[in-house]
Amino acid sequence: MPGPLLGVHDLKTQFFTPEGVVKAVDGVSFELNAGETLGIVGESGSGKSVTAMSIMRLISPPGRIVEGRVLYDGRDLATLSESEMQGIRGESIAMIFQDPMTSLNPVFKVGWQVGEPLMLHRGESKAKAFASAVSVLAKVGIPSPGDRARDYPHHFSGGMRQRAMIAMGLTTTPKVLIADEPTTALDVTIQAQILELLRTVNREFGTATILITHNLGVVAGMCERVMVMYAGKVVESGPTEDVFAHPTHPYTWSLLRSIPRLDAERHEPLKPIEGLPPDLIDLPSGCAFHPRCPFAIEKCSRDVPPLNRVGDAQLAACWVTQSGTELPHA
Amino acid sequence: MIDPIAVEAPQVPAQPVPAHVGRSYWRAAFSRLRRNRIGMASGALLLFFVLVALTAPLIAGFITHTNYSSQDLTNTFASPLSPGHLLGTDDLGRDTLTRLLFGAQVSMGIGFLAVFVSLAIGAAVGLVAGYYGGLIDGLLMRFVDVILAIPSIFLFILMSILFKPSTVTLALIIASVGWGSIARLVRGEVLSVRTRDFMVATRALGASDARLIIRHLLPNVLHVLIVFGSLYLGSVILTEAALDFLGLGINPPIPSWGNMLTNSETFFFHSRWLVLWPGVTIFLAVLAANLFGNAVRDAFDPRLR
Repeated sequence: MPGPLLGVHDLKTQFFTPEGVVKAVDGVSFELNAGETLGIVGESGSGKSVTAMSIMRLISPPGRIVEGRVLYDGRDLATLSESEMQGIRGESIAMIFQDPMTSLNPVFKVGWQVGEPLMLHRGESKAKAFASAVSVLAKVGIPSPGDRARDYPHHFSGGMRQRAMIAMGLTTTPKVLIADEPTTALDVTIQAQILELLRTVNREFGTATILITHNLGVVAGMCERVMVMYAGKVVESGPTEDVFAHPTHPYTWSLLRSIPRLDAERHEPLKPIEGLPPDLIDLPSGCAFHPRCPFAIEKCSRDVPPLNRVGDAQLAACWVTQSGTELPHA
Repeated sequence: MIDPIAVEAPQVPAQPVPAHVGRSYWRAAFSRLRRNRIGMASGALLLFFVLVALTAPLIAGFITHTNYSSQDLTNTFASPLSPGHLLGTDDLGRDTLTRLLFGAQVSMGIGFLAVFVSLAIGAAVGLVAGYYGGLIDGLLMRFVDVILAIPSIFLFILMSILFKPSTVTLALIIASVGWGSIARLVRGEVLSVRTRDFMVATRALGASDARLIIRHLLPNVLHVLIVFGSLYLGSVILTEAALDFLGLGINPPIPSWGNMLTNSETFFFHSRWLVLWPGVTIFLAVLAANLFGNAVRDAFDPRLR
């Protein structure tokens, strides 16, 4: 069996602010196989986006990757020079962003921007890249792409812009596509279309996808594997079905429990996770989730739990479940 | 299963779109500019001065039939509308109209050259400082502070003594101070554009710093350059005329609107037109430049109105 396409090992990214060191990503490891879709979920500030930006080496000061390796195609991206990294970005690993309204340059025609990776990486002329862009825009479902490519971004709706962003990522048929909350800024019907498109891209281009989201429903529908992050650490990971059926970390359990259910009684209150996400400068001792955890034991506030195997392919970092206690049905 | 790519909003027949939709920012700005009558009239006047400057030797050869330095001591202080001298002659019998024509070469040449050089340096410094931030930004902007803190008139006097003023050196001397404010403005604009998502998105496509600055940042701050450049032109023309008047700029025998005033102030009481013509010309040129600059600003930044 060939090795994974992308391997992240003990990645640590920190931001050196006047208030202190923000440990945004604190020892994250995971692997991504060719053609696979991996979901990364977690609250705001859990380090999902910083993980993605670190893989792309797009962290700017005061942030810095302080430790860890990002192995792609036998090379450690964390040690590449900036110009070598420019050859990877957009060519092998593409990224699409949360807000399609601001992710396109307002002064250029959409077709020109979508074709830009081809000019950058394949040395294509402006005219040839534009023609290629039109055909990719057609593939992502932009109607009359030949005309729309001559439009400016402000002529596009949010959904159309996100399609254009996806097209931009796909022009070079990258091996990995990182989608950072690609549907958060879109309305619900458009969200479904964009997710459908990402699924098609994954199937037809064989592009491995990292889908960053805080929407568990999206993960259930899209991802073969899921990784749950909390306070810069992976707290649980595994095949989506296993994790959703048997959450083995109280944080995952709480997230799943907080989803409103269709079969709930009317007026039944929502079940939020009590408390606030932790301060990343001054993390709680031991397990960062212990102040909010309904199952916490004394050891949780003392020692950091390791990420251990709890099922066939499921990993969790929790003292409670590792000691054999089963969490109640979510 | 439904073909997901076909899951697009239902195809609606094309609807008529308002005229302003479907135009780029630039086209919209130019169309706003074209509708501004005062602005267009001022622009036309500026263009007229430029054309006069470019064709001065032709006009002198075929219409006024004289040269800016040819003297006629038998016909000094001729009144306006006297035969062969539409605007009269000066103390050495030189034709005032011809001298004004050649003066346009000095004013327009220095005006446009100084604006262009200031914009080029200011844009480069502002883009680099704003894009990289941190230490580079700090050093460049402190240098700008120093440049802007120097009283420019003393700098001009010093430079005029060090370098023999010609059209090119005088333009460079004026530009050596003028770029500072432009650098500041551009840097400010870059700071706001830099944080926009498309900068990161473009970096994620594999674009280099140089490409990001030149291909993506510059077009987004170009309106600042166009607006400031237009407004700055008037002030350069005025500064240059003042330097000439003080004898620190272009010196006779080359005529300039400024040095024509120097010579004529002596004769103000018996030949007022010698002061009037260059004075009015400078006034018109600066007014046209400022009004045109205002029109350009309104067209490119409608929020400021």
